[in-house]
Amino acid sequence: MLTLTKDRALALALLLMVAVMWVESGSIRPPTSWQPYGSALFPRILLVTIGLLSVLMLIRSLFTRVTPVASWRTEISDWFTRRKTVVALFVMFGLYAALLPLLGYIVATISFLVASFALLLGVDTKRKWVINLSISCTFVPLVFVIFRYGLNVWLP
Amino acid sequence: MSNFFLQALSEVGSPSVMGLIILGVLFGIVGGSIPGFTVTMAILVVFPFTFAMDPVSGVSLMVGVFVGGYSGGIVSGVMLGIPGTPSSITTVYDGYPMAQKGEPGRALGIGVMASFLGTIISVAVLVFFGPLIASFSMNFRPWEITALIIFALTLVAGLSNGALLKGLLAGALGLLITTVGYDRNSNLRFDFDLPALSSGFEMLPVMIGVFAFSQLLGNIEKMRDGNDGGKGVDTNVSIPYRQIMKDMAGQKLNTLRSSLIGSLIGALPGTGGTVANFVSYDQAKKFSRHPETFGTGTPSGIVASEASNSAVAGGAFVPTLALGIPGDLPMAIMMGVLILHGITPGPMMFEQNPVLVGAIYASLLIGAVVMVLCNLLLVRWFAKISLIPQQILVPVVLMLCAIGAYALNNNLFDIWVLFIFGVIGYLLWKAGVPLTPLILGVVLGNNLERQLFRALELDPNWLTFLTRPLSALFLILAVASVAFSLYQDRKLKRLKPATNN
Repeated sequence: MLTLTKDRALALALLLMVAVMWVESGSIRPPTSWQPYGSALFPRILLVTIGLLSVLMLIRSLFTRVTPVASWRTEISDWFTRRKTVVALFVMFGLYAALLPLLGYIVATISFLVASFALLLGVDTKRKWVINLSISCTFVPLVFVIFRYGLNVWLP
Repeated sequence: MSNFFLQALSEVGSPSVMGLIILGVLFGIVGGSIPGFTVTMAILVVFPFTFAMDPVSGVSLMVGVFVGGYSGGIVSGVMLGIPGTPSSITTVYDGYPMAQKGEPGRALGIGVMASFLGTIISVAVLVFFGPLIASFSMNFRPWEITALIIFALTLVAGLSNGALLKGLLAGALGLLITTVGYDRNSNLRFDFDLPALSSGFEMLPVMIGVFAFSQLLGNIEKMRDGNDGGKGVDTNVSIPYRQIMKDMAGQKLNTLRSSLIGSLIGALPGTGGTVANFVSYDQAKKFSRHPETFGTGTPSGIVASEASNSAVAGGAFVPTLALGIPGDLPMAIMMGVLILHGITPGPMMFEQNPVLVGAIYASLLIGAVVMVLCNLLLVRWFAKISLIPQQILVPVVLMLCAIGAYALNNNLFDIWVLFIFGVIGYLLWKAGVPLTPLILGVVLGNNLERQLFRALELDPNWLTFLTRPLSALFLILAVASVAFSLYQDRKLKRLKPATNN
């Protein structure tokens, strides 16, 4: 059975994206007499280019010697386990983006910073909590004041 | 031009703009000092603060960050033995050994002076060649501009070490991102029936998302792998001014040569400070009477490295301002800054915005002076700041990126764009896809489409791209750069054993 390598996964993901976007490009307004090239031509040129390059990458990856792995499922779960901090930071940022309009800048941002510092610095000593809370509670209002009163930018 | 330069100098010399340049330089040095933060990240963090400013103030602040950032890498390079930016890798070769011998102040002083002279020489190159290239490129028609953009993209993709195919893919993906939303004929493309996509993706959140997330989260991974590099360091530094003057007096030729190499390499698309750094270090070693001293703490090594990486600043502005083609990542972002302030870099900029061009020259010069003063007076503090751990830095910078993306249009959707492109950028980076061609594609995509169709509307024959001499030359160069990269890829492959790619 073929091993799912980075290059193969990337090529397959890109080919899937090309297929979806090619179908979607069918809904772009067709060429007219005053717009003979139409609006779909340029993206389609790019989609064909990306498709061809992806196929090339896939073919090339089939000829590359790879270290065999137990199973691709284990590989994927190992990948996530090795990067759990990064994945957790992504999740926190996604939550921050979702909560920003609901909680407002000050509360949402302090929550995001406190949670991220707790994840990266740890929460095992009092000193770490002091660093965490002091940076979060001074930095967030400071940025708010600079943007709101210095630069006239309203934050949510 | 001299009248405009004087006018620009008076604007840049105003207390408020001077204050912004000082702030920019300080922040740039701090950004460059922190290992893994890089000049590009410093520019991205400061960028949102320029939204509410007039173009001269905004650009002056950014130029300050640029000048400070390129010099800042020396602090962590000398004090920690870790290059603050990739463009100061060779500074470590001699700066760190000199610091270990008990002369950190001498190493920092030599590096700062070399950075200063490198910046000044590169400004001279920019002042001389910028208008020259701009006036030459005034003859460029849509065919030439299209071919030039294709050449720039292939060149940058080709320089992605051993990953030509992925580099080309990244460039094409960057171009594809710009096709989302209303096009030049007000036709809607790839909106997937989502109203938020109808206006397309803003350039800034895409650039920040792709670059900042991969960079910052990559730093976290390195930290988890135990490559943080943080170690105890003595930050009590005193600068031996007399010794430094004596050292620099013996480095005139080396300084000039390294600065010219830096300016020239900076002006080439896709190269930047890292390449300049290695080439000039190598040349300095070849020209030296004592090549065996390189790597042991010789002033020549520090001068070659720092003069060249700082000279990249002026050189890199040449193609950006004269042709509207940014050479590297920091310049692509600088071009984004100019576009957001309503200025289109390119040959016409010298005629339409001469004061702004003059302001860039003046900011570079003033920034260089401020950089020397700040570095020499505050080096002890910068050395302390360079020890800020990534655990504190990453959440703060991510938060600033989010606020920057939002502040662009007061639009929460831009934070989602930042997040989604952050995930995409991180995954692409993990798959070994170089991100610089992607960002360059995002910056150049709209112009490429506009110029391509303008050319075809003027003459529907596609062969015209090959019958016009300059356009044909750029396309031949594009093919040649791909062929050369293929050759290099093969050479690299022969040296590599089995991989997991």
